[in-house]
Amino acid sequence: MQLASITAMAAAAASKPVIDWMGFVVVAVVTLVGAGFVVVMYSLGVRLTAVSGDDDGTRASLAAKWGAYVSFGFSVLAVVIGIVLIVPPFYKFAMHLLGIAA
Amino acid sequence: MDHLTFMVVLVIALALFFDFTNGFHDTANAMATPIATGAIKPKTAVALAAILNLVGAFLSTEVAKTISGGIINEKQFAITPAIIFAGLMGAVLWNLFTWLLGLPSSSSHALFGGLIGAAIVGTWNFGAVNFLVVLSKVIFPALLAPAVAGLVAYVCTKLAYGITRRSDPDSGDKLTQKRGGFRRGQVFSSSLVALAHGTNDAQKTMGVITLVLIASNLQESGTGPHIWVITACALAIAGGTYAGGWRIIRTLGSGLTDVKPAQGFAAETSTAAAILASSHLGFALSTTHVASGSVVGSGLGRKGSTVRWGAIGKISLGWLFTLPAAAVVGGLAALLIRTGVLGLVIVTVLGIGAILFMFFLSQRETVDHNNAISDVDAVGEALHIPSRKERDRLAAKARAAAKLADKAAKRAAETAAIRAQAQAAVDQADTAVLKAMTKAAQAAESPKGKKQTSKKGK
Repeated sequence: MQLASITAMAAAAASKPVIDWMGFVVVAVVTLVGAGFVVVMYSLGVRLTAVSGDDDGTRASLAAKWGAYVSFGFSVLAVVIGIVLIVPPFYKFAMHLLGIAA
Repeated sequence: MDHLTFMVVLVIALALFFDFTNGFHDTANAMATPIATGAIKPKTAVALAAILNLVGAFLSTEVAKTISGGIINEKQFAITPAIIFAGLMGAVLWNLFTWLLGLPSSSSHALFGGLIGAAIVGTWNFGAVNFLVVLSKVIFPALLAPAVAGLVAYVCTKLAYGITRRSDPDSGDKLTQKRGGFRRGQVFSSSLVALAHGTNDAQKTMGVITLVLIASNLQESGTGPHIWVITACALAIAGGTYAGGWRIIRTLGSGLTDVKPAQGFAAETSTAAAILASSHLGFALSTTHVASGSVVGSGLGRKGSTVRWGAIGKISLGWLFTLPAAAVVGGLAALLIRTGVLGLVIVTVLGIGAILFMFFLSQRETVDHNNAISDVDAVGEALHIPSRKERDRLAAKARAAAKLADKAAKRAAETAAIRAQAQAAVDQADTAVLKAMTKAAQAAESPKGKKQTSKKGK
């Protein structure tokens, strides 16, 4: 009987895809894009902070400083999105705001 | 009924202990790299992770409706509290064993493994387990998770170092890189991982306890977990996290590769992104596998870092064995419990004995917050980079010295002023004497001399 159930499962395995490749690819791409975006923004922020510290007071250093703030702002935004995704009540609220039924 | 209630209490106790080992095992996922780079002090890091786990456990109450997510055919085969007890025993013992070896292994795999073994033996039927789901939900993700996380962490590490590489445009010399900012960033990325862990893993134990309560008619079917269940699970996972699996932190933080701030930031961000993506897009990946993969990937991405393939091989072996080993332990426990109350007592006593024995073994070589990441300490001592506290202390010393110098200067100024005053007085006296003498000389010529001489005393 057990053998029968195993063979039945094997037959089901043959007809049904074992793994959701589409889902996997989506997760992989989203991970790459998300992490890449945050790392690029934060790195830019770090670099621009360093640049603005090279020579104080010039226009270029001021621009670099504001660029750094903007870059770090994007990183903060990413953290906020992360928290919204983690906390279910926030997530539902955000979905409601966007007009998507969660 | 009495026997059943006793069983339920036993299952709840063991489930909470499993929750504790889960927190304890997974502290490393979030906090190993920030501890390794010195972004957060070891004790602060585990405290932060514990608080976030506690908060996370309360935030999300969407408890898993099934224990295993379809791995066990719960509808066709009655999963009794005894089977869950045996499965939990397998999971707990395997978790402690891997902790003793310092291997980061997935707590969920241990739980699934234990339940699979216990379900097969307990129902005496292979049909109790849906092997297809095991393959698609456990085996494949275990292979793919570290691959994805590793690849992303590799790319991100390259990006982070590429963007922040600074060299003089004229001479091509390296400027100071100033990558210290990544250290601060790590605090946030690792906190996200800890929070995500709290919202996910505490739910599993809540689900187990709630299902046992429902199965034994102590709770109505279809209701959420009781508040005491949520509180107990939250406290158990936070307590476990705070206890900190320092052995596993050591493995992840310095055993696989040496972690530098920018690299650690890339690894943590990749871990956080992978966990969030997988939990919201429906392809479940294990946190432990993701975190380990990220650390290895980031190690490959940084030039000049060494990746210890031997340690990685050991960990992979641990992953391979997690499910079958927990299944064997769970199965044996279920086999003993089948014999009746005596078997249950034997399993309980043997289980507690094994837990105590492993704890005893761990005491022979303690690994705690003092020596978890010894490399960092050793390097720090060799170079003696003053820590923030030391710098603060030095600054305080300098301030005190400056104050002292100020005081001394003031005192010197005061003395000088007094001396000047005295000098002025002496001068005045001299002039007075001179004037008096001239007046006396004049007086000698005129008759009104006596009045002037009396003023001489001044």
